[in-house]
Amino acid sequence: MTRPDRSAIRAAIRAVAALAAGVAAPAAGVAALLLAWELAPRLGLVRAASVPPFSRVFAEAGTVLADPAFRAEVGGSALRWALGFAAALGIGVPLGLVMARSRFVRHAVEPVLTMSYPVPKVALILILVLLFGIGTLARVIIVVLACLIPIVISSFHGADAVEPRLIWSARGLGTSRLGTLFRVVLPAALPSVLSGVRLAIGVSIFALMAAELMIRQSGVGAYLFTYYDLGDSPRVWATAALIATAGFLLDAAYVRGVKFGLRWLAGEI
Amino acid sequence: MAEVGQTHTTTASASLAGRVPKLQAEDVGKVFTRRGRDPVPALRSVDLAARPGEFVSILGPSGCGKSTFLYIAAGFVAASHGVVRYDGVPVRRPGPERGVVFQEFALFPWKTVLGNVTYGLARLGLGRADRADRARHYLEMVNLGGVEKLYPKELSGGMKQRVALARTLATDPDVLLMDEPFGALDAQTRAVLQVELTGIWQRTRKTVLFVTHSVEEAIYLSDRIYVFSPRPARVRAVIDVELDRPRDRERMLADPGYPLLHRRIWDLLRDDTS
Repeated sequence: MTRPDRSAIRAAIRAVAALAAGVAAPAAGVAALLLAWELAPRLGLVRAASVPPFSRVFAEAGTVLADPAFRAEVGGSALRWALGFAAALGIGVPLGLVMARSRFVRHAVEPVLTMSYPVPKVALILILVLLFGIGTLARVIIVVLACLIPIVISSFHGADAVEPRLIWSARGLGTSRLGTLFRVVLPAALPSVLSGVRLAIGVSIFALMAAELMIRQSGVGAYLFTYYDLGDSPRVWATAALIATAGFLLDAAYVRGVKFGLRWLAGEI
Repeated sequence: MAEVGQTHTTTASASLAGRVPKLQAEDVGKVFTRRGRDPVPALRSVDLAARPGEFVSILGPSGCGKSTFLYIAAGFVAASHGVVRYDGVPVRRPGPERGVVFQEFALFPWKTVLGNVTYGLARLGLGRADRADRARHYLEMVNLGGVEKLYPKELSGGMKQRVALARTLATDPDVLLMDEPFGALDAQTRAVLQVELTGIWQRTRKTVLFVTHSVEEAIYLSDRIYVFSPRPARVRAVIDVELDRPRDRERMLADPGYPLLHRRIWDLLRDDTS
């Protein structure tokens, strides 16, 4: 039997330590939080009726996922979110790119954008209901409004910062002036656009949930509110936890997908 | 071969009597104007000519406007007065017959090496396979093999500039316009690429207009050097470099005429009074 090399052992120890720091430490943090959640109601530190222990909520989440009513609401919410998100992309990206290349469009759009930036879009929900009724449209529009600003601003900044020599290179290689918009400005602005889209994913889920909680016709938010009215706190917690998890997974999947799909990207998105 | 260097006092066009220049600039000036700011003169009046197949350098102090002149010749920037003619026709816009290479490489980061080099080939009506073959041919010409699937961020500076050169050569331009192409590279890479550029130029016999602020680089590469004054630039002197070709750097540096020529150009660059 050969004696293992000392440096190999040291490397193995370092690898284990790195694994511990990278995986074990975050896991320990989450475990501590969940343990506190479990023990606080059981030890009587908080009212168990309002804050059910983690194990109870976890079990309830399984029941919620199996509930056909919940599944139907998820389908409806996802559809409204996708419609609003697609519309915001279709409007926001071209608008941002054209703003960067046309002084006139920029001057026309910038004041509207600046004024609407600090407006909490959620405050407009009831006005949209007055305008469009409680149907799908009002909720889709709130998603569009919530997404539009991060998407337009990131597309504008991305396109505005395109290195002029990239455009010149393309022109020198025979691309027409209009052609550079699609073949150079759009791909060059893409890293910035993709960061804006990531922000938009977060705020749009927030806006849709807020709209559903207020309008209370249908959707995951309405499902949540129904059980709140019934005083079923484990189900309220379980549903809220599932919404939070869905948002987290959507963001993680987006980041992974972009990194996998676009190997040329240099920095973070 | 000590007879290096001859200063013309006559204008460029007069020294070229009898031959049609590939590229000719007449009284080209540029003043940058921006609302709310004083106009900035960049070029006063530049006369310049390059015969077909000639290697011509523009040498000048940093910020003297020599890049601006190149951008006017490329059609990226409009002249305030005067005209640049390509084959006798005034330049108004960029065109693939005048290929440009930038100091900052200006590669498309979202395209692979092969994608960058094939970029300009679609409009030539070549099929996909032909485009790739042609791109590989030019990548070999710049001594860059085996990296075609990499992205620009995965390349060193020297490799990036080789890709940029291959991308420009692939569309087979008549004229190469080079804006301090080796300025961002380390000295060793720079020397290697100078040798390779000379070889490519001698094989393809393209007309080259080469902007640099390195006296040695200008002497080593050029048939003729236009020395620009500080901003707003005009042509201070036109110098023929009559060193034999193919040139060898060691022999050039050992030539008794070389330090004299270097010194004379250096003095022209430093002299701000005229």
